[in-house]
Amino acid sequence: MTTHFVHLLDDITRKSLAMASLVEDIVEESCEAVLNADEGLARRVIERDNEVDEEEVEVETEVIRLMALYQPVGSDLRLLCTILKVNNDLERIADCAVNIAERACHVDVAALTEAKGDLEKMSPLTRAMLRKAVQAYGARDADIARQVRSQDDSVDAMYGHIVRNIVDNAAKSPEKMADFLDLLSIAKNLERAADHATNIAEDVIYLCTGKIVRHGHRA
Amino acid sequence: MVGLITDPTRRQNVNTAKEETNREDMNTAEMHACCDTPKSAPPILTVQNLSIYYGQHPAVKNVTMNIPPQCVTAIIGPSGCGKSTLLRSMNRMNDFIPGVRVEGSIQFNNKNIFSSKTDPVALRRSIGMVFQKPNPFPKSIYKNVAWGAAINGYKGDMNHLVETSLKQAAIWDEVKDKLHQSALALSGGQQQRLCIARAIALQPGILLMDEPCSALDPIATARIEDLIDELKSRYTVILVTHNMQQAARTSDFTAFMYMGELIELDDTNILFTKPSNQRTQDYITGRFG
Repeated sequence: MTTHFVHLLDDITRKSLAMASLVEDIVEESCEAVLNADEGLARRVIERDNEVDEEEVEVETEVIRLMALYQPVGSDLRLLCTILKVNNDLERIADCAVNIAERACHVDVAALTEAKGDLEKMSPLTRAMLRKAVQAYGARDADIARQVRSQDDSVDAMYGHIVRNIVDNAAKSPEKMADFLDLLSIAKNLERAADHATNIAEDVIYLCTGKIVRHGHRA
Repeated sequence: MVGLITDPTRRQNVNTAKEETNREDMNTAEMHACCDTPKSAPPILTVQNLSIYYGQHPAVKNVTMNIPPQCVTAIIGPSGCGKSTLLRSMNRMNDFIPGVRVEGSIQFNNKNIFSSKTDPVALRRSIGMVFQKPNPFPKSIYKNVAWGAAINGYKGDMNHLVETSLKQAAIWDEVKDKLHQSALALSGGQQQRLCIARAIALQPGILLMDEPCSALDPIATARIEDLIDELKSRYTVILVTHNMQQAARTSDFTAFMYMGELIELDDTNILFTKPSNQRTQDYITGRFG
């Protein structure tokens, strides 16, 4: 039974990592769709969200099945708990990407010159955090995961900067208010995606060390 | 004997150097994580450098551990690791095995139970035992419970003692109308609870349980597990089990033994989620054993 269970753990881990890879792609495409005003790409992102939703349900179902049938303990228990939590965060990140893509369908970021520059700086930060979180998850590397946590402040600062610019510029150009609101939504979703990447990193630290580091708990 | 435990407030170490740190923590008024015993409470049983040999074969190797009072301590490990031998040594049941030799000590009430001054029969009154297979006497339910007290000269109200013991063993409601029927007519689970009632009728300080549920069905097992949880408010329970989920469900502390050595002893919640020793990790996740 043990060998069989180890294989099942490997299978579910691979499935979760494949889903993570899919979510990374979707986030990247949603950012490109916004920055290049590519409506076709944006629609592709929206369609691919269904794949993520299906995979989320499959992973969750399998984790619950394994927990019920094998009653894992120790590192196996931590792994399955982590997969379940990461699964949820990945699905939420994909939702953020869909929200960004939906905005991309009717906002022309290029028309907001300064804003485009800000988004061009922010989106690589979020994507890099996600990339690193997934890398830490795949390699079960707590050190890489800690790096992700430390990067979240940069994304938050960038988001604050964009919000301040929107407030200033919206007052000067009220006729572009709808575009500014879309821009705000895009920035907010990038910031939320970075938060979910941080959650994944924190779950990886738990997986590796057994220590809960969320909410100020020390690693 | 291996000591790899890093947090002295939660983990017992078998390493002498670490015991100093443990003693400092025992001065605090904190409670044990899982049971209502103050950390300042001294251990009810102290095993020190215990080795047990069957002829030349060492079944238990240099084990040192403290058993906290009014907690459930589970001992797990693969077959032949020495857990039952260790358990049986705690009330000198090993005395009946030819060729057995014991080194080290077990302190109970500040006395070494292996001392020539210790009366093994009196010891077994204080440290009762429940076996793998229910073994009621071929007598009535009432006599099963009253027997031990009667032959030990109990002068109190025997009816009250029998009723109290059966209630504490959570079997009173099922047998109160047939106390004078044969105990052998009871189901396996009921027989096991009767054996527990028989053991606690002598008001022991400690109950040793050697795989008490292995011969029972899941429903009867659940009843015994519930009972163990209730018993720890009055007694100290030391439980040997092959069933790791049972150890995880019922115990406050868990000791993992392997090839006669105590590998790790820790808060059950910690041992089953983040054990500090790789061999414990491998065993509880089924990688070996």
